[in-house]
Amino acid sequence: MLKMTHLSKVYRTEVVETYALRDFNIDVKEGEFVAVTGPSGSGKTTFLTIAGLLETFSGGEYHLDGIEVSNLNDNARSKIRNEKIGFIFQAFNLIPDLNVFDNIEVPLRYRGMKAAERKQRIMDSLERVGLASRAKHYPAELSGGQQQRVAIARALAGSPRLLLADEPTGNLDTQMARGVMELLEDIHREGATIVMVTHDPELAARAQRNVHIIDGQVVELSEDPRFHTVHAAAGDAHA
Amino acid sequence: MDILPILSTLRRHKLTAWLLILEIALTCAIVCNAVFLIGQRLERMDMPSGVAEHELLQIQVADMVAPANPYARVAEDMAVLRQVPGVISVASSNQVPFGSSSSNSNIRLDPAQVRWTLSATTYFGENLPKTLGTRLVSGRDLESSDFVDVDVAMKALGTGDAKHLPSVILITQTLAERLWPGQNPLGHIIYLAPTVGLRVVGVLDSLVRPNAYDISKAQYTTIVPLRMGANKDQSYLIRCRPEDRAHVLDAALAALKKVDPQRVVTTRRSFDEVRRKFFQDDRAMAGMLVGVIAALLIVTALGIVGLASFWVAQRRRTIGVRRALGATRRNILNYFQTENFLLATIGIALGMALAYAINLFLMLHYELPRLPAIYFPVGAIALWLIGQLAVLGPALRAAAVPPVVATRSV
Ligand SMILES: Nc1ncnc2c1ncn2[C@@H]1O[C@H](COP(=O)(O)OP(=O)(O)OP(=O)(O)O)[C@@H](O)[C@H]1O
Ligand SMILES: [Mg+2]
Repeated sequence: MLKMTHLSKVYRTEVVETYALRDFNIDVKEGEFVAVTGPSGSGKTTFLTIAGLLETFSGGEYHLDGIEVSNLNDNARSKIRNEKIGFIFQAFNLIPDLNVFDNIEVPLRYRGMKAAERKQRIMDSLERVGLASRAKHYPAELSGGQQQRVAIARALAGSPRLLLADEPTGNLDTQMARGVMELLEDIHREGATIVMVTHDPELAARAQRNVHIIDGQVVELSEDPRFHTVHAAAGDAHA
Repeated sequence: MDILPILSTLRRHKLTAWLLILEIALTCAIVCNAVFLIGQRLERMDMPSGVAEHELLQIQVADMVAPANPYARVAEDMAVLRQVPGVISVASSNQVPFGSSSSNSNIRLDPAQVRWTLSATTYFGENLPKTLGTRLVSGRDLESSDFVDVDVAMKALGTGDAKHLPSVILITQTLAERLWPGQNPLGHIIYLAPTVGLRVVGVLDSLVRPNAYDISKAQYTTIVPLRMGANKDQSYLIRCRPEDRAHVLDAALAALKKVDPQRVVTTRRSFDEVRRKFFQDDRAMAGMLVGVIAALLIVTALGIVGLASFWVAQRRRTIGVRRALGATRRNILNYFQTENFLLATIGIALGMALAYAINLFLMLHYELPRLPAIYFPVGAIALWLIGQLAVLGPALRAAAVPPVVATRSV
């Protein structure tokens, strides 16, 4: 589903060159739920923005769903973001001037979907996150947990194959975080591929696989449940 | 582009949106009316004179010592002027087209009529139609046997002695059509006073009055065969080829000076100057209105640029989120263009109503005609164009916001 080989990302400013990612290798299979951990500044967000085609990279290769993405133009990248990828951000990123319904509708409109189908999908995904009654509310009228669930509904409405989440629970208290996590687990069970960056070892432990990033490199991959606590603890310590 | 979400976003920013809408409406209303006023002025400035404008010169002289016989003096002056090389024709006249100062008569069709039918200007002087270059469409020109000296005619008017009054008149076809619609005017009698009936013997194609302030009455013109004596209000009109005007004028002045070195030249100008002077207020007004339109459009454009730039900066993160959710650069560009189009359209709709109201006010207080419907789309198109041009810069900046903004900026 998502395969990066020898990928590098350099941020150049006038004074310095920062290698946010170097010789970065990862292979996420279709249907996996991967938790990405690592200390602050290690390159987790950078990895996610490149994976989500929000940014280009400097070297190496990235295949998304079998397509080498480095040659795609801006429009093609927008189309892939719109159709294949769902984003969930730490800061929710709902559009404050649009109500819940209109927020979820945004990506569907860019897809050119008919109004009836849009409405169906919006109501279905709101149902999914348990906020069907809040369709006419504005983001400012919702709690943080509710806002994040709307954001998840927005990501889900387009039935993406890949869900990318950058610290989706970072701004939520433990109870709300647990709710969001359960939602993600549901979505995963239904077949979506999920890559989630988190600082929370407890949440990371619930993923199928953990990837640890230090200094822009994947340091260890493990599917062995015995490693979970160890890596989670490491992530915790760095955070 | 989908307009509903744009409208709901605007509804959340009512105050700013309405300020811009009102600015657009006001500009639209004023532009509609100003363009109309400019059109009116230009139409006036385009008013035909019916004379050979580029071939005419006007000279007026004042005599320090009144000549013993003013009529003989005019005859002598005209004879001298005709000798000037390049002169095609010379006339003596009481007034000139677009010359402002004018003689006017109240015209009756029946001597017993209590109220006159209309007021028309009266040209008099010798050799006018030929020198002015105005064409006869029917009948004949005035002949020397038709002419009566002005002083003689004035005296005869007092005594009612018809023998010493002129008996014929030339009129323009506009005046003929106004007095006797659909009829042949030749042979009809016009009364300038109950005792002064003049028979129409010739119809002129076109000859504008000196006081052509009202375009609908600009051609209410007559020529009466009265001979002028030399006086300060009398003009010599000289016809020559356009390229000869400068040196003919100099030579003509020299010739007149030779007749009486004491005389003072009070007017010496080409007809082009006469027209320019007559319409200088219209030109100034049109220029001022063009300035007002330009200033208003610039201010409105700056308002649009300002507000759009502010909104782009304010929505930077939102734009990044939209890009992350799949918006193309074009989608973002279209969003701001559509938003501006909606604001402009609402503003224009209001502006139309306001334009109509302003026009009603001008009609009531300044005797202006109704604003023709054609001027409404002028204002609309101007503001749509200005809006789209003004929003293009900020919209392109919005389209350049990278999708990564969604994750990076907090
Ligand atoms: N636009 C940028 N310009 C320059 N350097 C950048 C830019 N974005 C990120 N970096 C650098 O790249 C490195 C990786 O940043 P990144 O945001 O991926 O870290 P992270 O793992 O997400 O950290 P955190 O856990 O704090 O969110 C950091 O050193 C950061 O300073
Ligand atoms: Mg990060």
